Amino acid sequence: MKKLITFTVNDIGYEVAVAPNRTLTQVLRDDLDLLGTKEGCGVGDCGACTVIMDGKPVNSCLVLAVQADGSTIKTIEGVARDDSLHPVQETFVEMGAIQCGFCTPGMILSATNLLEKNPHPTEQEVRQALSGNLCRCTGYQKIVEAVQEASRRMKG
Amino acid sequence: MLLLPKFDYEEPRSLPEALAMLSELEGNGKVIAGGTDLLVNMKKGTVTPAFLVSLKKVEGLREIAKERGGLAIGSHVTVSEIADSDHVGSAFPVLARAASCLGSPLIRNRATIGGNIVTARPAADLPPALIVLGAEAELKGKDKSRTVPLDGFFKGPGSSVIENGEVLTRIIIPSPPSFTGGDYIKLGHRAALEIAIVAVASRLTLDKPDGVIIDARVILSSVAPTAVHAMSAEKALIGQRPSEELFAKAASLAVGDCSPITDIRGGAEYRRDMVNTLVKRTLLKAFNDARDMKGGNA
Amino acid sequence: MKTYNVINTRLPRVDARAKATGEARYAADLSMPNMLYGAMLQSPLAHARILNIDTTAAKRLPGVKDVVTWKEAGLVKYGVSPARYDEQVFCSDKVRYVGDEVAAVAAVDLETAMEAVSLIKVDYEELPALLDIQSAMAEGAIAIHEAFPGNVSAEVHQEFGNFEEALKECHIVRTDTFTNKRQDGGFLEPQACLARYDFNGNLTLWSSTQSVHYVQRSIAMVLGIPVGKVRVVKPYVGGGFGPKAAVNAMEIVACLMSKRTGKPVKMVFSREQVFLHSRARHQFTHEFTTGVKKDGTIFALRNVCHLDGGAYSSFGIATIYYAGSLLGAPYKLPNMKYDGYRIYTNKPTCGAQRGHGGVAARAGWEQQLDVISAELGMDPVEFRLKNMMKTGDVTCNDFNMSSLGMQECLEGVRDGSNWAAKKGKLPKGKGIGVACGFFVSGAGYPIYRSETFHSTATIRLTEDGGAVNLYTAAAEIGQGSDTILGQIAAEALGVTLDDVRVHSGDTDFGVDLGAYSSRQTLMSGHAVKMAAEETKRQVLEALSEQLSVSVADMDIAGGVIVFKKGKPDFSGLRTLYVKEHRGWEDLPTGADLTFKEAARVAFITRGVIIGNGAYKPGELGGKYKGAAVGTSPAYGCSAQVVEVTVDEETGKVTVDAMTDAHDCGFAINRTNVEGQMQGSLSMGLGEALFEEVRFDEKGRVANPSLGEYRIPTALDMPNVRTIIIESDEPNGPFGAKEVGEGAIMPTIPAILNAIYDAVGVRIDELPITSERLFAAMKEKQKK
Repeated sequence: MKKLITFTVNDIGYEVAVAPNRTLTQVLRDDLDLLGTKEGCGVGDCGACTVIMDGKPVNSCLVLAVQADGSTIKTIEGVARDDSLHPVQETFVEMGAIQCGFCTPGMILSATNLLEKNPHPTEQEVRQALSGNLCRCTGYQKIVEAVQEASRRMKG
Repeated sequence: MLLLPKFDYEEPRSLPEALAMLSELEGNGKVIAGGTDLLVNMKKGTVTPAFLVSLKKVEGLREIAKERGGLAIGSHVTVSEIADSDHVGSAFPVLARAASCLGSPLIRNRATIGGNIVTARPAADLPPALIVLGAEAELKGKDKSRTVPLDGFFKGPGSSVIENGEVLTRIIIPSPPSFTGGDYIKLGHRAALEIAIVAVASRLTLDKPDGVIIDARVILSSVAPTAVHAMSAEKALIGQRPSEELFAKAASLAVGDCSPITDIRGGAEYRRDMVNTLVKRTLLKAFNDARDMKGGNA
Repeated sequence: MKTYNVINTRLPRVDARAKATGEARYAADLSMPNMLYGAMLQSPLAHARILNIDTTAAKRLPGVKDVVTWKEAGLVKYGVSPARYDEQVFCSDKVRYVGDEVAAVAAVDLETAMEAVSLIKVDYEELPALLDIQSAMAEGAIAIHEAFPGNVSAEVHQEFGNFEEALKECHIVRTDTFTNKRQDGGFLEPQACLARYDFNGNLTLWSSTQSVHYVQRSIAMVLGIPVGKVRVVKPYVGGGFGPKAAVNAMEIVACLMSKRTGKPVKMVFSREQVFLHSRARHQFTHEFTTGVKKDGTIFALRNVCHLDGGAYSSFGIATIYYAGSLLGAPYKLPNMKYDGYRIYTNKPTCGAQRGHGGVAARAGWEQQLDVISAELGMDPVEFRLKNMMKTGDVTCNDFNMSSLGMQECLEGVRDGSNWAAKKGKLPKGKGIGVACGFFVSGAGYPIYRSETFHSTATIRLTEDGGAVNLYTAAAEIGQGSDTILGQIAAEALGVTLDDVRVHSGDTDFGVDLGAYSSRQTLMSGHAVKMAAEETKRQVLEALSEQLSVSVADMDIAGGVIVFKKGKPDFSGLRTLYVKEHRGWEDLPTGADLTFKEAARVAFITRGVIIGNGAYKPGELGGKYKGAAVGTSPAYGCSAQVVEVTVDEETGKVTVDAMTDAHDCGFAINRTNVEGQMQGSLSMGLGEALFEEVRFDEKGRVANPSLGEYRIPTALDMPNVRTIIIESDEPNGPFGAKEVGEGAIMPTIPAILNAIYDAVGVRIDELPITSERLFAAMKEKQKK
């Protein structure tokens, strides 16, 4: 039997009837048309489905939508403010941190969340924070450099 | 898209309601907490519970509180909360270390200490640390309540002493004696997202900083159906003066205390050799920490 | 070197913002009204005869709209090379690997489709499953394909010079073996597609593919639809690396079911299905016998290679050639003998993956060369410098090194890593290693015999002069080709990148063989440059008529017209432009005649301005059998130095530093080139240390997940010091040639050589897991 859940996604309140066996990834993509969250594996191995749930980055493929009742969710679509990109998005774009882009939404969410909690992370801390987000294209270096540069820009 | 099978979902509003529900469901209901193990297995089709019961609304399962000099950790505390907790980090660094090794930051934000225990996976990260700490699990059923030491909690892969209808509510960790130190080392392939090839948790207690070992606990993980004591290593350590030679001897004895298999992650012979290496290394670190910690720290 | 306005820069990618904001749409993101969902029935057995397929129960399930087997799909064979069309959409007589496609369902939702699949009953008669090349090659082994008794899917024998004779002049002769393991592409985006056969009989397929052209042709051929009625469109693609370069059965099936139901059909691979499909790197077993003269001259090589091909051919017929031919450079080698055998086995099919047949061969041979240089008492860098080829040299197998910055690459990594201070001076447990490699910059010939152009491009200026629309069928799969082609167009035409809109990956835009063999920068780039120059010519001709200035005295650069012999009075043209734009506020007022104005003039006087470009390489390569494979208009090359730490008590290898120098001819986008280098190195590191597709005793993939098939995480990959070498390739547009695949070549051997330097142990089998290295060190200690 479907359950009615209420949650906030990217600062917008939603009320959705969902079957218990639907994951947060599915509801975000299929019911809310937020297609920026991807499914790369479905079992928590790759991080492509990362969203911020109640302030913490999680694999949305392993969250039941019903478990998100009452939660605050941020997806990649909620990172930019109005017209302007978040500094992390800016540096990702400028510094070559994006190749195929499939890991990018998850990567950006993990990175922005890190900078909220730790505004001046060391390289090791950046890599640690991104260790659940796999990338096959970049070798991670330009991603790490972009996060560090964003941190510098957000200082001033 | 990897699909979940159909099931019914309940969110009881109190522990008594939850226990009554689980009792009524007999074996057909499973508690879902972080879901990082349960949902993966449901997607693979290896478990198909008809009901999932979430204890989201039940109070008292999400705190880390000081208790009688030690700690009481709610079963629904997430692994990242444990890894980041100052309480845990200062009093029980071996547990904080084990927590920080589990999976990835994304997994740790959902996985719970309770889940890591009740799923009873031979390679689970928290149980070895909890066992060397002498932790106990509070289990509550509809009609009964009991406290079971983690040491002896596990019976085999996926199997523990927990009965149908029982819920793990809290984990109680007693305060460590003075001059106690511990360490947990997990050997994997990559630096993240790994399930251990071999893991070891060790804890040593000295009678005084330059004294003898009065308590030794060495727990081997991923080398037997459950986490096991390296009993001959422990025996060889107690009453002895700590030294690198003693630890090397204990480590080589530990090899005889495990029964590793060859599986997709590693071969039996290699696992035996790594028991040797990891026991030696954890004992060294445990000893160094024990020497320095008058107030007790594991 | 010449300075440019748009190229050789670090311009951000044209599609980066869409990807950074979640706006980019990949195949699984697409949907259409009334869409059906498809699901596939795949064989659970590695080798079995199909006795009967019963779809009645499946067809009866409410919500099911179509169920198809070979009866509906037909029996037209396809594959990659026409010489080896050995695949069918669905198995008819037998299944040849766990995962082989048997049937499919289209239904109103995915759950129903999957339930219907589970209701299809197939009766199998199990056959002996040949799960390794030894069993497949054994006397009396069952034939996996009747046409290939003995299970040899392809066989190559080549000799250049005279190997046996040459050995007589060699002071050192060694034989060593080397084996890698099956890899998986490991791209983050599983294959997905959406097919729509409309009421006019036009079929459109959106698919996560590296080549819309090859997919289009395959679908047309297999389903019997004219090529002109098949349109393949590539949405954003989340990585390809080779496995997505040819059609897959899911694509054909989605098209078939759309045709039959009249509704759009969407199908998506699960991660497990990605592993079952494979078409990724083979397992190579090499035996190298190398002869070197007393003075360190590499003189003779005999290379014997066996490939575990899996159940079908795919790109494998090219792989078995590359496994030999790609050792012909970058060292002078006058005598090379190669015998290669690709063997069918009852496992998922292997194909082409980054670096194709060259990676394992390079790994084993560069390690052997290190052993030899040590025997000679020569520094490994010096040994390589002594033997390397130079620009203008031709290999013994007729590859022409029209540009080759091998020396610059080697010296670059030697100096960049501080080799001299470290080699032989690092503490025990730490090591440093070097290796080199090279790769084609586009396969010299298409995969099907044809005189076709390899790339076409069309540029169409908008009528208001405001934008440049570039149409190409080239595939942007994450490597950055949209940006590179946009930059080439902008540079050649004389505008800025912002003025160019790149439309790509659509068979309606032309012909492009796609993103494989590292070809698009050179080949698609040439076509684009041609189209841009043609467009420029038309604009300048129109201006010439209006201003009475000869075309030769004008140019376009930086968005303005350049008058080489003094500016004429163009006020008349400006007045016309201003008059046509009454009400606009941002009209041109500067001293220069803008491109916008000129393009407007060109439209008014000539009509729509369209420039076309088309590229195919000239006759390439030698006249021997198989000469085609490995030919290319240009070759990229690279050198790498890697530093490792080995934990001697666990066997764990940590790669501490990597220094990589790659000769890409000319960097169209410097950030992009570095990104390709770093990404290649991460795939090489993964293959060296972690990656291995494993099977159980029944031929099932034992680790079909990204948890148990381990690609490097951010904590496993060190920083790479990248050095771009630009040798100015005469056959490349603006001197550019490849970087996408060549960069991976030296990675594995540089790691192997560093490990030897650290702990004195040679590993001849990948991956170098901690267990494998520990066992080798233990073995060494015993001796």
